[in-house]
Amino acid sequence: MRLKPSLLLLFLCPFFNTGYGQETTKKEATNTQLPQHFFDRTEFKVGYTGTIFWANGLNLGAEYLLKEKRKTKDRKRGERTNTHQFLLNGNLAFTTNFANKTDTGLLTNVGLIWRRTNKKGKQFSIAVNPLGYYRSFLPKTYEVNGDAVDKVFLPGRGYYAPSLSVGIGKQRKGKRLTGRYLNVNFMLRTPYNAGALPSFSLQYGFRFHLKKKK
Amino acid sequence: MCSYIWNAWKVVFVLLGGIVLFSCSQDNVDLDQLDETFFVRHKNADMPAYVKGNGTDKVFLVTLHGGPGGLGLGFQGPAFDQIEEDYAVVYFDQRGSGMSQGNYAEDDVDIDLMAEDVLALVKVLKQRYGNDTRFFLLGHSWGGALGPATLLKNQSDFLGWIDVNGSHDPKGLYFEYIRNFERIAAEQIELENSIAFWESVYGVLSEVDPNTVNLDDFNRLNRTAFDAELRLRDDAIINDPGNGGVKVSDYNPLTFLWNIQKIQSILDDDTIGKLSFTDRLPEITIPSLILWGRYDMVVPPFYAQEAYENLGSEEKTLVIFERSGHAPMFTEADGFAKEVLRFIDQHK
Repeated sequence: MRLKPSLLLLFLCPFFNTGYGQETTKKEATNTQLPQHFFDRTEFKVGYTGTIFWANGLNLGAEYLLKEKRKTKDRKRGERTNTHQFLLNGNLAFTTNFANKTDTGLLTNVGLIWRRTNKKGKQFSIAVNPLGYYRSFLPKTYEVNGDAVDKVFLPGRGYYAPSLSVGIGKQRKGKRLTGRYLNVNFMLRTPYNAGALPSFSLQYGFRFHLKKKK
Repeated sequence: MCSYIWNAWKVVFVLLGGIVLFSCSQDNVDLDQLDETFFVRHKNADMPAYVKGNGTDKVFLVTLHGGPGGLGLGFQGPAFDQIEEDYAVVYFDQRGSGMSQGNYAEDDVDIDLMAEDVLALVKVLKQRYGNDTRFFLLGHSWGGALGPATLLKNQSDFLGWIDVNGSHDPKGLYFEYIRNFERIAAEQIELENSIAFWESVYGVLSEVDPNTVNLDDFNRLNRTAFDAELRLRDDAIINDPGNGGVKVSDYNPLTFLWNIQKIQSILDDDTIGKLSFTDRLPEITIPSLILWGRYDMVVPPFYAQEAYENLGSEEKTLVIFERSGHAPMFTEADGFAKEVLRFIDQHK
């Protein structure tokens, strides 16, 4: 028990250092004036989504810019400006296991993305999609009720499917394809076999504007 | 710009359409070379059945995998390739296993329900391939518990029962583990095989409760049993089982691992140390074939003899594979396939 205050001090020391360090760094944050037009604030995206060996497919989506902030810091090597964005995120994805067709599904989700872009255009983003729906599509399915066997129309199951993505990307300013991204996605499907099935997938694709930015 | 976007959307829709079409399977049945997958929906679960092989005789071998939580396609390999040449084989992912999916409560799941799932599968097979279809049932390990559970509900649909290292008595398995380890450890130490390992097995035995079934101790003994088979393989007592025939693309490992952990956590409490079909085996009267590995550490060969003595079948055969452990279909594939084919030929 006596060790606890000392341990707390040890834990806090790095934060004190950081705090002193920040005093010598000039920080400036400005909100960016966002364009009015919907298409100027929206990037669309298309790309691969899947698990390489088991299920592969296509992801379509859109990202609507909600808020953008430019943060400038003075560092030893000079001034550094990063852009921080909050975006509304929407996706529609279809994946299938081509080998045995037992893992086919359509996913749609909505959520928020936080993205940081540095002056070189390198991006890091975290997407939280709390509203997600996954619909599995099964091959031929027969339902058995007592002695009756009936073929099921459009067999499959619906799942609540929230997800979290962490990814990197590269911004391409002034190009038709405005960037590319690589995300690792973690998704839960529930209720699945009396629980919530976790799954990981990769997303790689391109973002583009419907209007070419100048 | 608009034409560019329109073209992009066209490409996307063509791709999606192609994927959907590719995903839809044909309805034609080619009995000579069956290779189709369909799902059985029963009591809030959708369970895949993979039907492969030669169905011209309309004789189907329905397989029940181990686990619980194993893989239906886990049987695939040289032995089942040979069986598929003559007969159709139905590989089935049981409830909560492999690529099965569903929405049900943990309390609803028990071996009775899983046995009903197997009978539902048979009804679907009859609907799909005709009422003149004939069936044999094969269960391995946990499938050797699910098999009797199914047959005790309805054995009239099956022409024969093939018990492969089957666990018809999880109630007594804990104590038999201890007896079997003592026997094999003494034998292997005398042969000077992996002495350090077998001495460590004695260490495990000294730490588990010898009088009362304990789930943690059971799991420890079960893990030690698999380790022991690896030692027996390294010491050339049993043949190398190889890697089996499951393709990497067939199952997502995370889904498999999550499913096996889930279904075992549901079933273990009611199974380990409690479930036993030994007293009811005399009620199974269809012809039976019992196949076992001499060095099965996971379900010891004591149960082969017990099954043979208790099954009520007038025609029953016990075959022990001398260079096998828990998976004779992989370690002595040719002999295994020969015995299965001989049994089906005889009773079809």
